[in-house]
Amino acid sequence: MPPAVPGSETFPALIARIAAGDRDAFSRFYDLAAPMAFGLIRRVLRDSEAAAEVLQEVFWQVWQEAPQYDPKRGSPEAWLVMRAKTRAIDRLRSMRRRDRTFVAPLDESIARAEDGEAENPAVVAEDRGLVQAALAQLPEAQRRVIELAFFEGLTQSEIATRLGEPLGTVKTRARLGLERLRGALRGERLSAT
Amino acid sequence: MTREEISELAAAYALGGLEGADRARFEALLRAGDADVLAALRDFEDTLAGLAAAAPETPPPAVKAALMERITAARAPAPARPVLRRRAAIWPVVLSGAMAAGLAAVVVGWTVSATYEKRLDTLARDADQLKAELRSQQAVIAILRDPATQVVALSGLPPAPAARARMMWHPQAGGVFVATGLPAPPEGKAYQLWAIAGSNAPVSAGVFSVNASGTGSLSVRPLPGVAAVNAFAVTLEPAGGLPAPSGEMYLLGKS
Repeated sequence: MPPAVPGSETFPALIARIAAGDRDAFSRFYDLAAPMAFGLIRRVLRDSEAAAEVLQEVFWQVWQEAPQYDPKRGSPEAWLVMRAKTRAIDRLRSMRRRDRTFVAPLDESIARAEDGEAENPAVVAEDRGLVQAALAQLPEAQRRVIELAFFEGLTQSEIATRLGEPLGTVKTRARLGLERLRGALRGERLSAT
Repeated sequence: MTREEISELAAAYALGGLEGADRARFEALLRAGDADVLAALRDFEDTLAGLAAAAPETPPPAVKAALMERITAARAPAPARPVLRRRAAIWPVVLSGAMAAGLAAVVVGWTVSATYEKRLDTLARDADQLKAELRSQQAVIAILRDPATQVVALSGLPPAPAARARMMWHPQAGGVFVATGLPAPPEGKAYQLWAIAGSNAPVSAGVFSVNASGTGSLSVRPLPGVAAVNAFAVTLEPAGGLPAPSGEMYLLGKS
């Protein structure tokens, strides 16, 4: 969903200019895309300070890796979001590792991150566009699998253990859930044109 | 592979939860440029991007400021360029073409090396920082690995009943102490950690403060003459600490 901006400011055009070392293009891309990345990072990490650090790392990576961006592999949004997600999950895992070694029983913010907001349907159901609404409407079991993977960084076998379900079931739910979300996204695109 | 299998692998990969042999298999397909696989992954990644785009949040302005500064520094604008032009305008009259070219080469070389030196400086700083971090983490890991390490839990006493702390203690290597839930010490005061061995007088293990969220930590050197510690305690003392405890006790834990 590229925002309505003049041709030289579409996301792919901006990435191409960033690849050529254009600071203004980077500044513009940041303004347009950072809120999306930051929303995701905050959702994963919940800690604002850590999220701000991760956001900076992600956009530094954008600056450095823009020349390698390949439009055939996906949209700039997806390119950015996947980087944001990977970095945020890496940070979450390292926080949890540190946590397990010695701060675990002490750091309450981590405990909140483990089982706080994700359980709260009000947060998930917040009406922010069709995809979010579709996420809220997924069968609970599918939604849970997607959230545990995407926002909490659990692998499929970890999800299977956490939910006490067979691995095959987890795999199927992830696929069905994402397919349904994809459908919702396409619906949104169609209605937008 | 059926469409369903591809879809299943792509879903797991996009979500970040694909492991082991499945992951290797999927990445091999990606590398091979399998059109169905690429399309399936692109679809799901777009879907997840849509999910992220549905809940944007305004980042703190400091992030962008830091990035723009970092980019400017990394690009190291070449200050030598105007110098090169000026010299080129004055000197050809005096110098032979070959010498001018030589001078230009030197100036260009200097510009390039200045750029790289700046970058090397940054890299060296990063490396030093990482090495220091690594050393301190290795020390912590060494302590945690040693079977002789004791873990002592300290609980809050009446001045701060919600406070808690852990001491990872090794008699020869020293230890790591982490506390949380402590109130900020009043002006001129600090928390002091004590090791108590048998019926001997408590021995100071160091002084620490806490951050805004009430968390503090202390890296403790081995305490000479203290063999088996029976208890650790934290008291509030004048900043800098005292040779023997005088203030109220905030935390206590027996080993």
